[in-house]
Amino acid sequence: MSITPTSLGRRALLQQTGFGLGAFALSQLLQSESIAGSASSKGTLAARPPHFPAKAKSIIYLHMVGAPSHLDLYDLKPELQRRNGEPCPKELFESGKFAFVRDLPNLLGTSTDKKYQFTRSGQSGLPLSNLLPHLQGVADELTLIKSLHTDEFNHGPAQMFMLSGFGRFGRPSIGSWLNYGLGTENQDLPGFVVLITGNVLGAGSPAWGSGFLPSVYQGVEFRSQGDPVLFLSNPKGMVPKSRRAVIDTVNQLNREQLLDIGDPEIATRISQYELAYRMQTSVPELMDISAEPTSIHEMYGTKPGQTSFANNCLLARRLVERGVRFVQLFDQGWDAHGSVFNNIANKARQVDQPIAALIRDLRQRGLLDSTLVVWSAEFGRTPFAQGKNSEGNDTKAGRDHHKDAFTVWVAGGGTKGGMSYGSTDELGYTIAEKPVHVHDFNATLLHLMGINHERLTFRYQGRQYRLTDVEGHVVRDILA
Amino acid sequence: MNLCHWVVTASLLVQFSFSAISNAAEVGHLTFEDDVQPILRRHCYRCHGSKNQEASLQLNLRSAAMGLADSDEPIIVKHDADASLLILRTEGDAHGDQMPPDAAPLTKREISVLRLWVDQGAPWPNALAEPKHWAYQPITRPEISEGHSSKTAIDYFIARRLKQRGLAMAGSVDRARLIRRGSLALIGVPPTPAEVQRFVDDPSANAYEKVVDRLLESPRYGERWAVPWLDLARYADSNGFQADQIRDNWAYRDWVIRAINDGLPFDQFVVDQIAGDLRENATVDQRIATGFHRMTTCNVEAGVHPEANRVNQVVDRVNTTATIFLGTTFECAQCHEHKYDPFTQEDYYGLFAYFNSTPLEVKNTSGVTWDFYGPTMELPRDEDAARRHRQLNEQLARLEGDRKEASQASDEEFDQWLSKLRESHEVAWKPLVPENFESSTGEEFTILDDGAVLLAGSVPDTVEHVFTFAYDQKITAVRLDVLTDDAIPGKGPGRGDSQRTNIILNEFTCQHLRGGKATKIKLQDAAADFSQSKWHVSGAIDGDRKSGWAIAPQFGKPHWASFVLAQPMKLEGDKDRLRITLSQFYGRGRVIGKPRISVYSGDTTFLNLDDSLRELAAKKKLNKADTAKLRKHFNKDNPRIRRLDRQLADIKKELQTSKPDTTLVMVEMDQPRETAVMIRGDYENLGQKVQPGTPAALPGLESIERTGDRLELAHWLTSPENPLLARVTVNRWWAEIFGTGLVSTLEDFGTQGEDPSHPELLDWLASELIESGWSRKHVHKLIVMSDAYRQSSRVTPELLEIDPTNRLISRGPRFRLAAELLRDNALAISGLLSDKMYGPPIMPYQPDNIWRSVGRNQPKWSAAQTEDRFRRGVYVVWKRAAPYPSFINFDAPDRGSCTVNRGRSNTPLQALTLLNDPAYAEMALGLADRILSDAPANDDASRLEYGMQLAVARRVSTYEISVLKDLLDREREMLKQNESMISGRTKVPFREMSLRFKDPAELAAWFAVANALLNLDETMSQ
Repeated sequence: MSITPTSLGRRALLQQTGFGLGAFALSQLLQSESIAGSASSKGTLAARPPHFPAKAKSIIYLHMVGAPSHLDLYDLKPELQRRNGEPCPKELFESGKFAFVRDLPNLLGTSTDKKYQFTRSGQSGLPLSNLLPHLQGVADELTLIKSLHTDEFNHGPAQMFMLSGFGRFGRPSIGSWLNYGLGTENQDLPGFVVLITGNVLGAGSPAWGSGFLPSVYQGVEFRSQGDPVLFLSNPKGMVPKSRRAVIDTVNQLNREQLLDIGDPEIATRISQYELAYRMQTSVPELMDISAEPTSIHEMYGTKPGQTSFANNCLLARRLVERGVRFVQLFDQGWDAHGSVFNNIANKARQVDQPIAALIRDLRQRGLLDSTLVVWSAEFGRTPFAQGKNSEGNDTKAGRDHHKDAFTVWVAGGGTKGGMSYGSTDELGYTIAEKPVHVHDFNATLLHLMGINHERLTFRYQGRQYRLTDVEGHVVRDILA
Repeated sequence: MNLCHWVVTASLLVQFSFSAISNAAEVGHLTFEDDVQPILRRHCYRCHGSKNQEASLQLNLRSAAMGLADSDEPIIVKHDADASLLILRTEGDAHGDQMPPDAAPLTKREISVLRLWVDQGAPWPNALAEPKHWAYQPITRPEISEGHSSKTAIDYFIARRLKQRGLAMAGSVDRARLIRRGSLALIGVPPTPAEVQRFVDDPSANAYEKVVDRLLESPRYGERWAVPWLDLARYADSNGFQADQIRDNWAYRDWVIRAINDGLPFDQFVVDQIAGDLRENATVDQRIATGFHRMTTCNVEAGVHPEANRVNQVVDRVNTTATIFLGTTFECAQCHEHKYDPFTQEDYYGLFAYFNSTPLEVKNTSGVTWDFYGPTMELPRDEDAARRHRQLNEQLARLEGDRKEASQASDEEFDQWLSKLRESHEVAWKPLVPENFESSTGEEFTILDDGAVLLAGSVPDTVEHVFTFAYDQKITAVRLDVLTDDAIPGKGPGRGDSQRTNIILNEFTCQHLRGGKATKIKLQDAAADFSQSKWHVSGAIDGDRKSGWAIAPQFGKPHWASFVLAQPMKLEGDKDRLRITLSQFYGRGRVIGKPRISVYSGDTTFLNLDDSLRELAAKKKLNKADTAKLRKHFNKDNPRIRRLDRQLADIKKELQTSKPDTTLVMVEMDQPRETAVMIRGDYENLGQKVQPGTPAALPGLESIERTGDRLELAHWLTSPENPLLARVTVNRWWAEIFGTGLVSTLEDFGTQGEDPSHPELLDWLASELIESGWSRKHVHKLIVMSDAYRQSSRVTPELLEIDPTNRLISRGPRFRLAAELLRDNALAISGLLSDKMYGPPIMPYQPDNIWRSVGRNQPKWSAAQTEDRFRRGVYVVWKRAAPYPSFINFDAPDRGSCTVNRGRSNTPLQALTLLNDPAYAEMALGLADRILSDAPANDDASRLEYGMQLAVARRVSTYEISVLKDLLDREREMLKQNESMISGRTKVPFREMSLRFKDPAELAAWFAVANALLNLDETMSQ
């Protein structure tokens, strides 16, 4: 289906509601006629059909900020354990680029302490660390990609690269690309919601920004302290009844203005004020998890009113249930340059139960097939030890940033589950087989959402930009 | 009456909403230039254009397009679309792969345009028979034929185009709206009611021109026009990326404002920014201007590789230069030859070479930690400040000498001290049980038997803990213990984060209460068992709310701090009270979980003496090392040295604050770097060497002085032969004033960009710019003086069908203000706007917890408690990882990269911002106060009329007044029944701000009216 500015005309502009673009921006956008070859007449955040039928309708994307040690969670290397403490092979070390370690380091195997052992889990027998006991219980839903690699090895650029396909600022994040390509199912909520535990990642809000796409596609942070959405609550001394009265007055005068001037933008404005008013009740209701049954709270480990990763997992389910297209969770605190085994055990304990609960909960509600859960980070960690911090002082053994091989996983949303794809060498240093570049990974995520990554384009500065630049191959082996 | 009006129009709307597609193509106005070539260019030229001729096919050449394909089939058969390969191959795959094979197919509309064109005989004008991109052609000043009735040249071009489409210009807008439109466009601030009245009443023929001239000379003009320029320059006050710290480059922002106000010719404006430092006898201003390319982001997270960072910065400078000054997407050529436009990789690195010889901008501090560095320049100061600075430095040198001398004091003094130490006893602190305790946020608490207070319940971001004690003994020192407890997450001592249980005590205040009067007790000599680096305990008694005592990384264990009273004192327990306040303003819950206060009444000489020293002193015979250790401590305890240290600290502090301000500038290295092509853009994979040079496809450097540096580039960019600079510049200005550019792709004048809607007008304006000596004000005046600009912006449904986005300029401009200007406008309406100009960035109100990025040395938000709170948006601090949120909600960019066109969305988040952002609530209160205090008469109707005039300038209808009066009456009624709401609405945001109107109930009712006025679509549009 194709839409032209003129056939869209006045009707659409006037009827347009929800998190829509302004009429002006909309017509600009449609003039460029590049919106994946299709756009809906209901406004550009209205749901749009994908390029081809797909199971996944939404994505819950869990980004572990700082980058976890994948070696100690998913990709156990017995040979590395055996050679623990030996110098890292020189040719390996010199072929790569590292953020902190500059002198030949020693290899660092996963601790042989019992709690760090791996167990073959589920019917598929996927080996997973005992630090993730709950995740072991849903092993058959997981598809591990053990051969991911990226271009950047510093946090800020690597986060931008993972999420926007470009290591600097200015490009749209994957959530905004999907919001742009597919719109969203619930016009009363943003199509792309961001939930954060810990401090904001180094790349800052550009990590969920819309780059050169219209800003309506950017992520909207839902906060767990203060207003859940900025400026949602009325000023002091203003009760809902007064708020309603003010909006009625504004809209009445705006309608008068619309009659006089005829600018369709005013009609959009009127509908946005109505939506804002509805959001003042619907968003707090969405964010209030206290009405969830005890069994759910026990399953996730949630406590109403708290700021926690568990609460954010439960909120993610509530958001996709309501038709939000893309939910991004950021959890900070994984950057273990020192004491990696303590860090990984602590952090794993914080996220293991809620992530497993999220997968089970989506499954039991029949939502896992239509929801793609992604677990990822900006890069992995080195198989060798880092023994000094950024100031050059000695610390307990940690791991440096590693861009050349790391593990991510996906679940649900048309993926096979119970399998791992690709592998690393015996030291976990380089990719042994089936490398997957970040562009391939993003192409695959788009594919699972029914999008041909080569055709989801936006014309900017005379070029048809894509999330995957000029590269990217769909990893077909992991598709169900 | 109004109701009727609405019904009639509504039915019209319905009728039009179902009307069939009607556009130029279908009604027979199709042209190759406007309708067909853009489609071919967009979809076909990439593979079948000047650069590539896949299957030997070149569709931008008329002779080739009218010929045969390599299959010998005709590409275009005039009058027979069904036989034309062009149509068949784009429609589907029945005749081979659908074209284009690797991108989105043509839309149905595009195919129907091509069909219609072929069926009409595929007319292809001679002038366009061969490819010659318009933007690279020299600017030619178009002829204006005689005998037209247009008032200005602009109107001539616009009227002619409208006539071709069977349209005419709309009528003029009324004067009140016109002065508001012009004021917002030129200075970004609305006219005052008096200014409106003066203009409406002015009978002179040049009344409007007088207004325009006044606006062009207003200092507000530079502030308004700096905003879009700062988007291009990616101006921000922070580094970007992780470690997004604040850096000082506001002098550059001020330079932009001044340059625009002073009418610095635009070509000089460009040369100064690209290469001001390289000009002969460069002035301070010219050097500040080079901050333009220092706005580039800089990643200083630990572990960054400096060369990669540097190359990224140069890449950004090249791309930004090409975008802003050439309207060209140069970025593609970084890795390979440009696909559409005539630029090669060598061209790219030729430009790169100009920027490749500035020094590194990160400095290694320790290990792999890097700090932002790079050349800065001290800003000139007035003579008084400079003299004071010299004095301080002299004093510093003198005191340091005294300090050295004092530290070598006689052995006799030391022996005296030592014997006193030997006689001293261990300090017996006496814990006090508070008579009363309060938490400013109402935390739950328990007072324990030992005097400690255990806090519980929800954790506040910031808090003040207030202890009151009844005590009747002498006091010489006070001590605070911050204790641990299993009931605190992570054991404490801080409550806010179970992993990092830090506390931050900004101020420790001690007061003496008697008869309702509180007197501050002066404290000195702060000591603690441990202080975090940069958070020494002395910060807790320095009166500065930002400094304080913290204990990271020593989490999970108790700590103490002690303070000596400047004068010992004695309380009388029956009438005196001791009050101690622990102010914890840091935010994020870095608050104490279990504080306890103790006092001491003895000699304070050895108050915080380490036990090991006491043991050492007790030794019969002291060896050399022992003596040295004790001597070191003696020096610390020596009153003379203590006094000197205090004086030194004061001077150092003043020196710190009186340091000259600095700004970032470009500096050329003595030895230029060599530049080579980076293969596939990889800085470690270098190809052939490249000399500085400009793109071959554009006019050459023949007339330019060949200095081989940035100055050469700047002269080339601004040379009259460069056809792009003037065109892209006037086009951006046009877009700022009209809402859309004559070329709608402001950022791309290449072959993939849109063609100009009025090519001759564009060239005419460009030549006016050059011929006027590159005068921005001249061009702005031409535009706003035109009849086209003064048209009414009313639009009928018919017109909306024909000219939906006003590309034909068939009406006056009407669009929502940009983020900063929207805030400026609301501040001006509310009477709060400060006209203070220049200086370091300001922080208005913003919600808590916006600035909370990971990374070291993160700055903190501290909302201004002065008029700075209400200064213009151009001065608001711009932190790239977390820009001012209400600006972001109105499409402001993060300024991480050059932004040419912000876009203009219309979202519920915008409604929420204007309705509820406490910053806008402050403005509503200001507006309510202004209306009640300043309206010409005191009846409701007059006041409402005055309020509306402040907001939208024009005369208002009785209907509009009645709608607002309804709201006012309802609110008055509501507040009568809910008096408690009055104080919430009328509380001033900070102490120094006062309201003129003194009846809070009326203010509260008008607050709602003011809130509505600031939310009108008309208020937020220009």
